[in-house]
Parts: sequence; C-alpha cells; structure tokens
Amino acid sequence: MSVGIRFEGIGASLGGRRILEKVSFTVPPGVRTALVGPNGGGKTTLIRLLVGALEADVGRVAFVDDAGREVPRPRIGYLSQRSTLSPRAPVSGTDLVALSLDPRPGLGRREAARAEARAALRRAGLPEETLDRPVGKLSGGQRQRVLLARALAGGPAILVLDEPDTALDAKGLMSLRRVIAEEAEAGRTVLFVSHDTDSMGGADALFRVDGGVTEEPVEASR
Amino acid sequence: MTEFLAFPFFQRALLAGVLAAVLCGALSFFVVLRRLAFAGSGVAHAAFGGVALATLAGLPPGLGALAAALVVAGAAARASDASGISEDAAIGVTTVAAMAVGVVALGFVKTNIDLFGLLFGNILTVAPSDLALLAAAALAVLAVFAAWFRPLLLASVDEDGARAAGVNVGAMRLLVLVLISVTVVVALKVVGILLVSALLVLPGATARTLFDRWPGLLLGSIAAALLMVLGGLLISVALNVASGAAIILTGAVVFIGAFLLSRRDSGD
Repeated sequence: MSVGIRFEGIGASLGGRRILEKVSFTVPPGVRTALVGPNGGGKTTLIRLLVGALEADVGRVAFVDDAGREVPRPRIGYLSQRSTLSPRAPVSGTDLVALSLDPRPGLGRREAARAEARAALRRAGLPEETLDRPVGKLSGGQRQRVLLARALAGGPAILVLDEPDTALDAKGLMSLRRVIAEEAEAGRTVLFVSHDTDSMGGADALFRVDGGVTEEPVEASR
Repeated sequence: MTEFLAFPFFQRALLAGVLAAVLCGALSFFVVLRRLAFAGSGVAHAAFGGVALATLAGLPPGLGALAAALVVAGAAARASDASGISEDAAIGVTTVAAMAVGVVALGFVKTNIDLFGLLFGNILTVAPSDLALLAAAALAVLAVFAAWFRPLLLASVDEDGARAAGVNVGAMRLLVLVLISVTVVVALKVVGILLVSALLVLPGATARTLFDRWPGLLLGSIAAALLMVLGGLLISVALNVASGAAIILTGAVVFIGAFLLSRRDSGD
C-alpha cells in the first residue's frame, strides 16, 4: 500500500514571522513529488512539519491510502537540508544508520539492524571500506550518502529529501537518481525539495511553495 | 605504602574511588560528546546551595544537594527547550542563583558545615554508610545509562536524525542532565564540589584524543577515570597531599600524556 500526505489548513511561524498560511494540498501516494519555490518560501518548514521537527500553529498533517482514507503515520525516511550530524561524532555510518533503525532502549548488539544498515549504505553508494569509518573521516559527499542511507533504511513508506543533491559529486548524484527511481518503482512516496528537479530524475507531481502552495504542471520545473 | 591497604578506611576509599571513577568515566562520555562541561560544573556549584539549605532545614545535606542539582538540571533542559535560551546561559543563571541562596542560608546556619570537605572532598573519610549509598546510586545511574545508551547516543550525535527516528530529544537532554546531577552528588564526597566537574570532563577529553569510535571512547573514558582516581589516591597517600587535588592533577597529567601521544601518532 502506498501512502499519501495530506496537509490540512497548515499555518506556521518561525521566529515570530509567518512562513506558511492556510496551506492545504495532498502529496499523491506512490509517486515522486517535487516542492519548488524561492528561498524562504517555506519548503523546508513544510518538510520539518511533516517529519515532526516543527509544530504547526494551526492545521495538521494526515496520511492517506490510495483511496484517500486516513491511515496511521507510517515510517518516514528523512534527509534534511542541513544535517545536525556532528562532524566529530564518534560513530561510523554503520553505527549511525543502525542506531536510527533501532534506537529503542535496551542492552545487547542489534546485529539485524547493523546488517540492514550496511545494505542501505551500499545501496546509497558508500564504498565498502568506509562503512566502519568514523563519519568525521568521510568526505562531505560520503557523509551525505550516509545520511541518504539512513533515510532509505528500514523501507520507509515515505521518503522525504530536502535538497539531497547538496554536497554530492556526479557519481553521488547518479546513485541518488537511481535510488529515487527504485523507491518510486517500489510504490513508495518520494517527496523532495530541489531547485533542479531534472537532476533528481524528474517528478510526477510538482508544487510551488511561497507562503502558500499551488500545484503546477510538471513541465514548469524545467 | 602497601601497609595502607590493610586499613579499612583505605579499603573503603579505594572502593569509593572505583565506583566514582566508573560512574564519572561513563558520564564523561556524554559530557564531552554534548559539550556539557559547564553543566557539570554548574550543577556541582548549585549543590552547594542545596547543602546549605538542607542543613538549615535540618535535612540530610546529600538530599539538599540532589534536589538543588535536579532543579538546575530541569530548569536548564526546560529553558533550552521552551524559550530558546541556550543551555549554558540557563545553567549559568540558575547556578549563581543557587550559590547565592547557599551563601545566604549559611548565614543562618547555627551548626558546623565541613565547608573544606564540601569544596575539596575527602575520600579517606568515606564511612561504610557513605559507601553503601554511593554503590546504590552508582548502580542505579549505570543501569539507566546502559539501558538508554542507544537513544542517548543517537540524540547526542544527531538531534534531527534522532527526532526522525522517533527519539524524544528533549527527554534525552533532560535524562543526561539528571544523570549528571546524580553523579555530581554521588561524587561530591570523593572529590568535592570544585573538582567534581573536572572528573566529569577529563576522562572523556582524554579518551577523545585517542579514540574516534564510541566503544573505544566509552571504555577509554572509564579507564582514564580509574587511572585518575586510583593514581591520585595513591599519590595523595604517598605525598600526604589533599586527595581531591591529587586526583585531578593526575587526570591532567594523563590528559596531557594522551594528547601528546595522539599528536605523535597523527604525525602533527
């Protein structure tokens, strides 16, 4: 089952400034949807509301199935625009993704989570010899792939990518396009913010965010 | 010097030292990771106010220290969550207020308070009842530490990632501060208020110079704390100097040694 996202009457402020006003729209399930718009228009605010990093002043975010019926919040894979991952964090990519997959309290090693983490890191294009390297000793592009792997791990029903092409080299971009295509093929909902939707392999739906949200024809991004 | 080992007071001191070292070494991991050195120091100083108030009220000083430390920890976590005030500013404000309350309260206290022991600690006077309390508190803190280590680690290295994974980041911040508070109160008897914050910083900082993955960093931090406390204790007996100061000076030497070793290994 694919899961869509319904933003219902969202109003949100940051630092006393109203960023989003009466935003209502639905991200269709199982396709690639792009959010475009000017800097400061509210794209990242919308994404942070979706993943629970921010709370709306009014309105809510609901999740719906293919028939438009409301469903419980599914697992969401999230790659943020500016990572809060400390460059000096004493963890490897495998550690970080495994912790994110299974952060529950308790003792003992979580071998299943580590195996799944490694698979996600390989899928994101991280070289084998760097899987257990501390994140501080990875290049910016490699660290971005670790964060992409974290978003992919666990097979989330919704994949949210906020300017994921930041800090990626050409090879990394190719991996990203491939992964997005694979996720959409598998029926997952992919929502991304980008100033260049073509670099992400294109989109099936497109919304412009600038205080409010309007749907635009997909060609408008080109 | 081995004849000291036959004395019960020295055996208790050694045991108290081991407990405090394991506890502070483990917590030092998160203190260094989350840059909470000031929090440890702030909570320790606030404990002074708690001791004075508790003495004035005729309550056990340790209880007052714990209450004051927890109030500061809670206020710091709440302030940084709710109002955008930075953690260090919140700790700074509440700490000086708690210390001022302590000084005012001391003016009304008629009984004697061992201020020197409170400030600098005296591990050689640890009583069997102190040791039992220390052991119970250490076990409780370490059990919580171990059980919640995974979400604590994730929230400490990547707040947004932890939030997306369903971890309550604010609760984790509060938990770390509460664990630090309890650890500070537990370690007061060993090294005193002024030096307990160093015991929370030096082990983690030492391990940080040598290890870049968390298992090494955690075990290295505990090992450095043990080296500090036991080495300092032996030096204090051998040279007849204050135990708290000897412990911290040993820690400083260990830190400098580890730092120089890491520079040599990295070729800088």
